[in-house]
Amino acid sequence: VSALEYFEAADIKQARELLGRHPTAAILAGGTDLVVASRSGKRALPGSILDIHKVPQLRGIEAQGRGALRIGALTTHADLEASAEVRRDWSALSDASALVGSPATRHLGTIGGNVCNASPAMEAGSPLLVFDARVELMSRRGKRQLSFAEFVVGPGRTSAHDGEILTAVVLPPVNRRVPVGSAYLRLEYRQAMEIAVVGAAALVAVDGRGKCRFARIALTAVAPTCLRAEHAEKALQGRQVTDDAIAEAAHAAADAARPIDDVRASADYRREMVRVITSRAIERAVARARKEPSR
Amino acid sequence: VRVIFNRHEEFVAPDKVNHPMAIELKTGVTRDGVMTARIARLVMDTGAYASDAPAIAEIATMMAAGPYRIPNLKIECHTVYTNKTPAGSVRAPSGPQIAWAVEQHTDEVGRSAGLNGYEIRRKNLLGEGDVGPTGQRMSAIGALECLDKAAEMVSFSAGASAGEGLGLGCGWWFSFPAASSVELKLNTDGSATVITGATESGTGAVMGLALIAAEELGLDPGRVSIVYQDTEAATWDMGSSGSQTTYNNGRALIAAAGELRKRVLDIASNKLEAAAEDLELVDGSVRVRGTPSRGITIAEVASAAFGDGEILVKRASQDVVPMPENFGATCAGRVVFPAFADPTFVCQAARVTVDDKTGVVQVKEIAAAHDFGKVLNAEGARGQVEGGIVQSIGYGLTEGTQYGEGRQLNPHLLDYKLQTAADAPAIAIEFVEVEGASGPRGGKGVGEPPIIVAAAAVGNAIHSATGARVRELPMTAPRVWRALRERRK
Repeated sequence: VSALEYFEAADIKQARELLGRHPTAAILAGGTDLVVASRSGKRALPGSILDIHKVPQLRGIEAQGRGALRIGALTTHADLEASAEVRRDWSALSDASALVGSPATRHLGTIGGNVCNASPAMEAGSPLLVFDARVELMSRRGKRQLSFAEFVVGPGRTSAHDGEILTAVVLPPVNRRVPVGSAYLRLEYRQAMEIAVVGAAALVAVDGRGKCRFARIALTAVAPTCLRAEHAEKALQGRQVTDDAIAEAAHAAADAARPIDDVRASADYRREMVRVITSRAIERAVARARKEPSR
Repeated sequence: VRVIFNRHEEFVAPDKVNHPMAIELKTGVTRDGVMTARIARLVMDTGAYASDAPAIAEIATMMAAGPYRIPNLKIECHTVYTNKTPAGSVRAPSGPQIAWAVEQHTDEVGRSAGLNGYEIRRKNLLGEGDVGPTGQRMSAIGALECLDKAAEMVSFSAGASAGEGLGLGCGWWFSFPAASSVELKLNTDGSATVITGATESGTGAVMGLALIAAEELGLDPGRVSIVYQDTEAATWDMGSSGSQTTYNNGRALIAAAGELRKRVLDIASNKLEAAAEDLELVDGSVRVRGTPSRGITIAEVASAAFGDGEILVKRASQDVVPMPENFGATCAGRVVFPAFADPTFVCQAARVTVDDKTGVVQVKEIAAAHDFGKVLNAEGARGQVEGGIVQSIGYGLTEGTQYGEGRQLNPHLLDYKLQTAADAPAIAIEFVEVEGASGPRGGKGVGEPPIIVAAAAVGNAIHSATGARVRELPMTAPRVWRALRERRK
């Protein structure tokens, strides 16, 4: 066993300093990926670890001007699941947070860790895509923001540089002049401790005459990263929300998927399920926009 | 020596894998639904080593006959080697997969004669005096009662509600005949100690011995402690397999307790100046029947004995119980099981929903009726039934080892999907208490039967909900989905 360097930051300033001195250190938050992967023999623990889980400034959900939301990197899935604001205005992210792993994973695992782990099956991924989320990175040289879509570049790979730490996920304002609803659904084989076989998020704005004024659709676990299904969005946008329009969008989503065969499902089954799950996500998002009960 | 397997090794190293099987069944049935003949061919993949496969092949043939009265049987079981992880004895080896095939087949046979799942079973299940597949004449069995109870618990005759499916599964198993021994001590403080070589593997079977000893000696169960797990120092028991711990070690314990009880009564008889047959052991005391004020505590009896130079300890062993009459061999040979000693019977009913767009099955309810003979430890028996049902549903729906290039692809609990507490259905349990012939106080083996038929009942419930049959285990969402598509063609 090689020597392990472990540093613990007490506050944000110390985190920045430590990262400046140890730019290649792996950042430890909830540990639900890093530690579990090491224990199961999937990936050895990195030689150098910077533990940020006690940094107070990195946790919490904060409303910003004009209806934006800033989510600190250490905010747990359970925090997001419990937030009334997220449930009301960012329902897809609330749905996703409630589905992650087990109660224990949700109480330890963080949104920042989920994003930086960059799994193609990450629950938060598709909701963040439909909300055009941005991520905030900090290093000794300062801060920068980039879109979540640019941030995740492949399975387990992000565009963060050495010495950069993800400090927050920012959800920009959603135009709410027309009623808006969003939803995230996944195909699951059991009721808990599950990982997405296929997932889909939808964000729609539906006007009083039943016309879709805006649509965003994203897919989980069917490509190297979560991805937007732009043809599916176009199939809905500007049209009456009918069963046909939803079916057409779902079909376009299935075409956008690039699924693989693995132990969880065959590529064929996954592609078919993209159709089913996308159509259910759109239906639920539309129902929420219309404020139909129990959605 | 201490051997510890990590999770990965648990999957790939030991012979704790259910035998994958190819199962072909053909059954002759009269127009009114009486089964007359069955031909079955089983091919059993035992992996790289035979392990328990010869004995399991015998059990397999008995399971392929099932708990039915079929006068003409031709059953073959072929065990084959492959380069996979060896298969061996896993809770009711060969039971769940064969019952899953046989019980779905039973529904299909019934349908061909115009009978529903209840009717075809009612007509063909083994009853009092019937002869089993190897010439064993059945007596004191509760197969039909189990069927009636389980069907009643889910109102089977009313049919499934819209959007749901309802299915039945019947099965049988045996109590493993083996010799066993135990030691029982009465201490001077009035407590008792059981010293046993029986192994507790988490099922509670050894813990349940305290109840037997307490009942025989008139003690509170909390006054009985158990020394166990040191199989070298303790007297011999076969170990935790074959649903045999209570069945055999319990017999030995009752014998030991009987001798101890007799000695206690003799001593108390002198002290109380009353005939031993007028005494009873109640609440930690020996009392004169009908005159509760005349008594002596068991602690006083044990202390008095010790003072007189006598230690109250009894060791007892019980011989193997004889096999029921039989032809001397199963269809597969004569290794271990020419008959099912003290057979146990089960019927479970499943209520499921099927998402017809994705193939995801959810089990909403299982009703279980079990004939375990006389139930000695109801709490423990219920625990075994609940656990067996949840395990069987996992076996039926979400588990399953996958192989690629000769290696296991999912040797970990992320992708070998056990059922979780959130998946567990509502479970209702009833016992049909028909006293067995040879077990302790008429009890039979409990550990294995609960896992045998839930997956089968779920298979029939899937068909009831959708009209589709899944002919491969586990019945994963993609397989159910494919079966639904093929049905539509």
